[in-house]
Amino acid sequence: MLGRFNRILLALTGLVLLAVGLAVLIGGLDLQRRWGFTMPDQWPFDGPKDVLFSDSARIRYRSEQWWWPAVITALGVLVVGSLWWLLAQLRGRRLRQVSVDSGDGSEAVLRGRALEGILAAETEALDGVEGARVSLNGERDTPRARLVLALAPHADPGGVLAGLRSVVLENARASAGLAALPAEARLRAVSHRASRVA
Amino acid sequence: MSEPFGTTGPIDTTQPPPSSEAAPPPAARARRFWSPRRIPAALTALVVLGAAGLLLYDVAAVRAGRSAMQWRKILARELATRPLDDLWVLLGAAVAAVAGLWLIVLALTPGLRAVLPMRRDTPGIRAGLDRHAAELALRDRAIAVSGVRSARVAVGRRTARVRAEAHFRDQEEVRADLRDALAEGIRQLGLDRPPRLALRLSRMTKE
Repeated sequence: MLGRFNRILLALTGLVLLAVGLAVLIGGLDLQRRWGFTMPDQWPFDGPKDVLFSDSARIRYRSEQWWWPAVITALGVLVVGSLWWLLAQLRGRRLRQVSVDSGDGSEAVLRGRALEGILAAETEALDGVEGARVSLNGERDTPRARLVLALAPHADPGGVLAGLRSVVLENARASAGLAALPAEARLRAVSHRASRVA
Repeated sequence: MSEPFGTTGPIDTTQPPPSSEAAPPPAARARRFWSPRRIPAALTALVVLGAAGLLLYDVAAVRAGRSAMQWRKILARELATRPLDDLWVLLGAAVAAVAGLWLIVLALTPGLRAVLPMRRDTPGIRAGLDRHAAELALRDRAIAVSGVRSARVAVGRRTARVRAEAHFRDQEEVRADLRDALAEGIRQLGLDRPPRLALRLSRMTKE
């Protein structure tokens, strides 16, 4: 979700920068005349001796009633928006609670950290796994797990994944009474020296 | 803390999961992992925040009757006097265009090139193997072949390049064994697109 949002905003920012940069380059290098093409009438630059932002353009609307409120509002929106965008990057969307189906209709909740700790401990107990970090995200009744595993030298990635699914995730899913616990796993390796001893 | 989950001791994984015993159905192609692009987004947001915040502060200060900060006067004068074919203007425009293109590339490409997607034959799990982990696993395979003295492995998205050095046995035999061992090794990585093997075997020069 955050990724898609970031990408849209990055693309928009990039398009603005690219458009401004290219426009100034076209004006400054006089490409319209050299390469023989014309730009629409609203084109802001009249050739290489024009300036970026003339005094007359700068004070054009200054006498209008709406000008300063509009400038201040626009800048304010930009400040608040970018602050919010920045904070969205820092805030991890980690799940605090997972709702547990207790079977008798009353709702129980489990701390997200507790479930994460158990998932990590059980993952580390798998053969071939030396360390694990787990975080839960998603919604409290449809959580998703994110795992980063450090594999031992002798590990078999396929076997580790099978164990992860059939033991670790299945246990957690069943104990929390969830319909499903989809997971995303990143398998890394613990660096080690080459050795012929099996 | 671990009470609701029963066992926490060592877990027996020798029993295969019930469904993976039968031939796994041809799973859908695994998609690449896409980076959330947090760092470029944070940097862009920071730059926009800084510029807009400073300008807003100064505009508000001027409205309140104070005089504008020096940088704004200089900036306004420079923007109004430097012609477009001025070197600095052109340089700035080129930098802006390149930066914009870079942001667009960041927005459109998946990133996370070090994560190789694994085959989706474990339902419910989407897994990726780090390139470095694949390299270590293949290196260990290569080293285990008798006659191989050392091996260096670089796993790319399409090709696994292995450079090994042999110090005894017939070179062709070592090559054949190495090829088999590495093919098996690549298969066991469980990658969605197993890399092609590019093997270079050299004989260790005698001192």
